[in-house]
Formats: sequence, structure tokens, C-alpha cells
Amino acid sequence: MRLLRQIRLLLLAELRQEVRSLEVVLTSAFFSVVMIALFAVSLGAVPSDAQVMTVPGALWLSVAFVGALTLTRVFDREREADTLRALLVGPVDRVAIYFAKAAIALMILLLASAVLVPGLIVIFPGAAPMAERPLFTAAMVVLGCVGYVAVGTLFAAGLATGSGKNVLLSLILHPLTTPVLMFNLVATRALLEAHPGADAYLGRMAAVDLVLVVLGAWLFEPVLVGSGGGSKPARGRAGR
Amino acid sequence: MTPSLAPLEARGISQRFGRKRVLKKVDLRLDAGEIVGLVGANGAGKTTLFSILTGLLPADEGERRLAGAPFDDLSLERRARFAYVAHRPQIYLGLSARENLDLYASLRATVGAETEASAAVLARFGLADAAELMAGTFSRGMAQRLALARALAGRPDILILDEPFTALDRQGRDLLAGILAEERARGSAILLSSHDHDMLVRVADRILHLEGGVIAGEARRRDDDVDGRRFREETAALWAGPQR
Repeated sequence: MRLLRQIRLLLLAELRQEVRSLEVVLTSAFFSVVMIALFAVSLGAVPSDAQVMTVPGALWLSVAFVGALTLTRVFDREREADTLRALLVGPVDRVAIYFAKAAIALMILLLASAVLVPGLIVIFPGAAPMAERPLFTAAMVVLGCVGYVAVGTLFAAGLATGSGKNVLLSLILHPLTTPVLMFNLVATRALLEAHPGADAYLGRMAAVDLVLVVLGAWLFEPVLVGSGGGSKPARGRAGR
Repeated sequence: MTPSLAPLEARGISQRFGRKRVLKKVDLRLDAGEIVGLVGANGAGKTTLFSILTGLLPADEGERRLAGAPFDDLSLERRARFAYVAHRPQIYLGLSARENLDLYASLRATVGAETEASAAVLARFGLADAAELMAGTFSRGMAQRLALARALAGRPDILILDEPFTALDRQGRDLLAGILAEERARGSAILLSSHDHDMLVRVADRILHLEGGVIAGEARRRDDDVDGRRFREETAALWAGPQR
């Protein structure tokens, strides 16, 4: 109960800041549009029957890039003001920090997906099955993003307590999230090919998500405090 | 009444960053109802020591004790009675001053810890008129006041302040000195670092000099030193270290 209350409080603080600035939402949405435009130009001429191979890649590659951007910005707020350390000293469960950060990142990633998926459906006729099975598509996108965020939040937090480590996030994040993205890609392809076992993929994705979320929450404290231990205490920019 | 977390003790604390030994077997004791100042040149290891004492940094060697018992990690209930103001204000720039305090008060409430009402704390720190302003628009001095307000709103047993007088104007320094005296009288154990000689001599009961990774000297205010002259002289002698 205490954990849920702390998650709620931290998430509300995140939402309040994001609603005021719309910084991460607008950046992610704009980046999603750019990704769609790039895929339209580069893959628009691919024959419809071959698009079943390209659309899943376009979708999850976009999620990977938008996700890295989102996670970077979500934790940049903490880095700029060093507020993460204040939470660590305060009476706040570290797992609450993990879930609040993962939740805000997931919300933004899902908003970006709300731009990405319709965009891909409009541009690629081969993506039509996603429109024909909207609930399956929505569930698949949500589950895929949960897995991505579960892994991404863990490592973004670990790098947020240092300074100038944004570049490391992409280097670490993409290799570590590749297995999740590959699994999502296979599920998406099963949907587009109307594979008879497509529905089973959702259950598997949910199981993988559960494992990743539990692992992320379990490893969060060692990664966070361990990262603080590996570097000198922050003494950078003092304020405004 | 809940027993105090003090004394806070550090025994044989050592820390290394790469090949550089920042702290070498540092011993320190902070009792309830006393203010201890920590001086040292830039890079002497003051912030590192504070990070270890607050649990932000695991020490390579040594032991931390609270109320006589060693601890590796603090429970949330105990952390609610422990406050730290870092060199940076650590406030949410996208929240107002009141929202910053309300957030921490609400988080403290989840562990059953009481917190002074945000409006009262803001008034105490001279921020009543800025309560609804975004913290991102604050000057450095206002941000420092807000950080101090957040730390002191919970009436902590142990208070660790890393250069708290930084960026404060004369009025702010006087205000903080008065509040620290109140906290000491209440029984709070306070450890602070500062490069402000005058303020440190004014508020502290003891001043420790951290040099070369060890506590190299100590000046203590004595009961018979009514006008504080001896304490000032002893501290000035210590001060020659940081200025080198």
C-alpha cells in the first residue's frame, strides 16, 4: 500500500512537470512523425506483399529510437537538478522510483505509438491487419513497450546519477533491449501474416514482461546506488 | 517519544576514486544537540564523506553507526528522520515551491512521519510570496532556501548540510543561523561544511579540519570561553589549512 502511494505521488509529480512543459511528449511525437516520413520515403515503394517484412521493423525500430529519447529526457530532469539523490536520501522506496519512472516513460512511449501505428497503417497497405485487429494491435504495442521500458528504465536510472553519460545510454540500451524488440517484431509479423498462432504471442509477451519488470525492480537499487558508488558525488551546476 | 537517531558515528571510513585515496580511516562522531562544522580545501573529501554518511555512496572501508548500532542501510522510517542538503539544491525545477514541499511531505506521510505545513515552512524561510512560483525561476539563493526548507520541514534528528550558506544573502545567513540554533536546542545533531569562516564560528560547537583525507585538527567551543574568542582563534589556526 505504501509502495503504491509513493508510486502515485512520484508519478503525479512527473505528470505535473510534463503537462506544464510538454517537452518530452512533443519531442517524442515529432520524432515519431520524422521516423514515419523517413520510412515512407525509403520503404514506400516496397511491394505490398513484402511489407509484412518491413513494417514490423519500422514499428519497433521507431519505438527503440523514441524510447531512448524518452528515457534520456525523463532522467535528464533528475540529472539537471540532482533530484534523484534527494529521493534516495529521503523516505522513498527505491522500487517506487523505478515504477514511477517506468510509468511516465511508458505513457509517453504509448502516446508516440499512437502516432506511429496509424502512420504506418496509412503509408503501408501491408500494415492493414493492424487496423483490422485493433485490440490485438493495441495489446501487442502495450506489451512490447512495457518490456522495453522495464529494461530501459533500469539502465537510464543507473546513468542518471552521473553527468555527461547520455551517450552511454544509447550504447547500453540498444543491445540490451534488442531481444525484447526482436520478440515484438516476431509477434507483429505473425499478426501481419495472419499466423494462426498469433494470439499465443501476446501471452508470451506478457510473460516476458513480467520477468523483465520483476528483474528491473529487483536490480534497480543495486544499479542506482552502485552507480553512485562508482563515481564521485555530483558537484556540478548549482542551480539557476 | 521516539528515541533520537543520534549519535551518528563514522569509524575508519576510507574511500578511493581510481588511484586517489580521498578519505583515509576517518572517524567522526555527531551527538544530539550539537553543531559540528567541517572545513577543508576544495577536493578535501567533505562531500564524499557526506555522501557516505547519508548512504548515497558505499564506503570502501569503515562502519557507520546510529544510536550505537551499526547500519548498512536505513529503513524508510529512519530515513524520514535524517535530512541532507547537498551542495546543489536538488529541487524539482518544474514544480512550484509549495509543490516541492508538498511532494516531500506526502512522501514522508506514507511512512507515518509528520511534517510542518508547507505554508508555515515557506514563511519561516522567507519564501511565502514565492510559494506558487516555479522553482526553475528561482535565483540560486531562493533555491537554497527552498532546499533548506524541505530538509528542515521534517524536524530531523540528524541534519547534514553541504555548504548551506552558499548563495544566501546576509538576511538568509542570519535566518539560517537562527534556525540551526533552534534545531540544536530541539536536540537535532547537525553536521555542516562551509567556506564561510564567520558563519561557521558563529553557529558551530566544534569544527573539524579535513585535510589529506584525514581529520587533521579540531577546535571546540568551551563553556568558559564566554565571548568565543578562543574558539575563533583556534578555528583561525585550523583555517590556515584550507587556505593553503
